[in-house]
Amino acid sequence: MRKITLLLALMGPAAFQLAQAQTTVEFWHTFGDPKRGGWIQDRADEFNKANPGIKVVPAYKGNDNDLISATILSARQGNAPAISQIFEGGSQLALDSGVFQPVSGIKNVDFSDYIKPVINFYTIGGKVNSLPFNSSSPVLYYNKDLMKKAGLDPKKPPTTFNGLLADCKKIEAAKIGATCFGMSVNGWFVENWMAEQGQTFLNNDNGRSGRATATNLDSKAARNIFSFFKTLQDNKYYSYTGKIEDFDGSDAIFTNQKVVFHITSTSKIGNNSDGAKRAGFELGVGVLPIPNGTKRNGVVLGGASLWIAKAIPKAKAEGALDFALYMTNTKNMASWHKLTGYYPVRESSIKLLRGEGWFTKAPLQLVAFNQQTNTVPSPATAGALTGAGPQTRKIVEEAWQKVLNGTSVDAALKEAKTRADAALAEYNANFK
Amino acid sequence: MLKPASPPANTEANAVFKGTAMPWLFLLPSLLILAVFIYLPALQTLRLAAYKANLILGTERFVGLQNVTELLLSPAYRQVALQTLIFMVLTVSLGLLFSLGLAWLASRPVRGSKYYRLLLIYPYALSPAIAGTLWLFMFNPEIGVVNQLLGSLFNVKPRWLDDPILAFSLVVVAAIWKGLAYNIVFYLASIQNLPGDVMQAAEIDGATPAQVFWRVAFPLLTPITFFLVFTNIISALFDSFALTDILTRGGPYFHNAGITTFLVYQLYQDGFVNFKSGVAAAQAALMLVLVAFITFMQFKVGEKRVHYGG
Repeated sequence: MRKITLLLALMGPAAFQLAQAQTTVEFWHTFGDPKRGGWIQDRADEFNKANPGIKVVPAYKGNDNDLISATILSARQGNAPAISQIFEGGSQLALDSGVFQPVSGIKNVDFSDYIKPVINFYTIGGKVNSLPFNSSSPVLYYNKDLMKKAGLDPKKPPTTFNGLLADCKKIEAAKIGATCFGMSVNGWFVENWMAEQGQTFLNNDNGRSGRATATNLDSKAARNIFSFFKTLQDNKYYSYTGKIEDFDGSDAIFTNQKVVFHITSTSKIGNNSDGAKRAGFELGVGVLPIPNGTKRNGVVLGGASLWIAKAIPKAKAEGALDFALYMTNTKNMASWHKLTGYYPVRESSIKLLRGEGWFTKAPLQLVAFNQQTNTVPSPATAGALTGAGPQTRKIVEEAWQKVLNGTSVDAALKEAKTRADAALAEYNANFK
Repeated sequence: MLKPASPPANTEANAVFKGTAMPWLFLLPSLLILAVFIYLPALQTLRLAAYKANLILGTERFVGLQNVTELLLSPAYRQVALQTLIFMVLTVSLGLLFSLGLAWLASRPVRGSKYYRLLLIYPYALSPAIAGTLWLFMFNPEIGVVNQLLGSLFNVKPRWLDDPILAFSLVVVAAIWKGLAYNIVFYLASIQNLPGDVMQAAEIDGATPAQVFWRVAFPLLTPITFFLVFTNIISALFDSFALTDILTRGGPYFHNAGITTFLVYQLYQDGFVNFKSGVAAAQAALMLVLVAFITFMQFKVGEKRVHYGG
C-alpha cells in the first residue's frame, strides 16, 4: 500500500503537467463502420500530430437518437463531449437544449465558402449554430439494362411524376418481370418534394421565423405527392418491403433488379454502384422526379452537422472548432465525398474535384451536384425546424402507408395533419 | 426403502443469529445493489410519471395524474394494449402447445433423438435482433426466399409486412418460434423425470397413448407448465421489443396505431425517439401495475391449481 502511495505521489505532478499541456477534445459521431469511422480517426490522428497541444478523441456513439440523448445527458452531468454530430432533424432539439454554443460565436470563421443551401439549414436567427459535415439529398437511381429491355431510352430518365408514370406504363406492357418503381417510405422524401414545389413543410417559414405550430400537410403540394403514390399503387407500378424507413431493404430490391427505378439518398451512390456491379447491370443516376407543373426549387440538404458544447473552457472550444474546420477543409471534404458520396459542403472542394476531372471519372455524382448547387435559397428549401421532427416524420410515413393500403389521399392527409399538429403543440407546450 | 437416520440436532443446523445486526449486514450488499439499480430508478420513474417532461430539454411541469388519464383515454394506447393482450395470449398458448408437442415427440425413444433435440434447442442461442433480421430477409416481399418459393409454386406474393393481418400473424409466429427452444428445454427435462411406473401402470390397464399423455403425463407436467406460462407472459410483454423493432418497426399503421406496436415498443418510441420522458414514465408505471397483477395471479393460481407430484 505504501509503495502505491509513493508511486502516485511521484507520478502525480507529471501526469498533472501532461494534462495541463494537452487539451482533450472528445468528438462523438454516428459512423460505426470502419470505412467512415476510420476516415474520421485518420483525420484526428493527422490533426493531433500537427497540434501537439490538442488531443482529438473520436468515438462512435450509436445512431442519431442515441447520440443526441447521450450528448445532452452527459452535458447535464457536466461532461459534455466538445464536438457532437447531430442529424438535421435534431437541430431544433439541439438548439432548444441550451447545451451548445453557436460556432459563429467562438471565433471569426469565413462561412462564404460553404454551399448556400447547406449553410442555410444550420443558420438560425442569423447565427451559424453548427458546422455542416455530412450532407446529402434524394436522387433517382435507374437500371439502364432493364430500361432498354422495356424499350425505354436510358439516356432519358424521367424527371417528373407524369414522366415516371408514362415509363411505368411501358414497363408493364413490356412484361420484363420487374416492377416499375420502388423506394422506402420515409418522411424525409416528402419534405424534399415539398421543398421542390416551393412549399414549406411547416408554418412560420418552416419554423424559422418563429416556432412552427402547424404542418402544411393540407397544401396542394402535399396532395400532389400522395396522389402520385395513390396512382402508382392503383396501377401496381410500385413495390417496397412493407416496413417504413427500410432504406436497406429498398436498396436490396433495386440491386436485385426487381424494380427499374428507385429513389434514395445520394450517400448511397457508393453502395448501389457496388450492388449493380455484383448483379451485372448498368446503373444510372438522375435528378429527383418532381410533380408536373412546378418550377424546380431544389432540395433540402439532409445529413448532419457538428455542434460544439457550451460549458467547456474557451481553449477547448477553440480547439474543437479548429479540428472541425480542419476535418471539413477543402481537401478533406473532397476526399470524404469520394469515399462516401456525401456532398462536399464547400465551393472550393467542388472546384478542386472539377479540376481533378472527378466528374468525368464519376459521372453519377454530377447529377447530385447540380441538384444541390441549383437549389434556390428560400424558407422552403432551408428545411423544416421542429423539436418534434422524428415524430412528425413517422406520422407522415404512416399516412403514406395508409394511402398505399387503400385509404383516400384526403382522408390520410387530414388525419396526418391533425396528429402532426398535435405533436407540434405538445412539443411547444414545453416552453410555456 | 432405506431411510437415512435423522442427524443429531447439532448446533450448526439450528444456528440462529444472536442479534439483528448480523443478518442485515449480510443482506446489505444485495440490498445496496438492488437499491441503486432497481428501487431508486423505479421510484424516479413513478415521480416522473406525474410530470410533462422532455429528456432533451430537461423541462419538467407537474401535471399529477394527467399523463395516466390521457393514456387510458387515448384510442391509440388502448389499441396498443389490446394488441399486446392478443399477442400475449396467442404466443403463450400456441407456443406452449407446440413446445410440449415437440418435446414429447423428441423424448420418444427413436434413432437420432439426440440430434432432434439439439436442432430444436439451437434457436435459443440467437439474439432477438438476429432472429428479427433473419425473418426480415426471409419475408422481403420481392426478394425474400419465402415469396420466391410461393411465387414459383402458386404464383402468389403475399405482402407480409404491410398487410395488417399478415404482419401481425408474422410477428406472432416469429415470437413463437423464438420462444420454442426455451420451452422445449424445460419440457424435455420434465418429461424425462416423469415417474415411469405410473405411466407403465396406465399402459397395462389398457390406456391408449393419447390417454396416457392427457390423463397421466399432462397433469404431472402442470408445475412446469405453470412456471412456463408466467415466464412466457413476461417475455411476450417485454422481449417482443427487438423483434418488432427490426421486423416491422411497429407497423403497418392500422386504425389508430401500428398493429405490431406493443406496450413496450410504444414506451420506447415515446421515451427515446420522441423524448417525452413523462409520458413514457407513466406507461412504465402502468406496466408495473400489470406485472404486479400477473405476479399476484401467479401466486393465487399456483396455490389452487397446480399439482405438485409425489
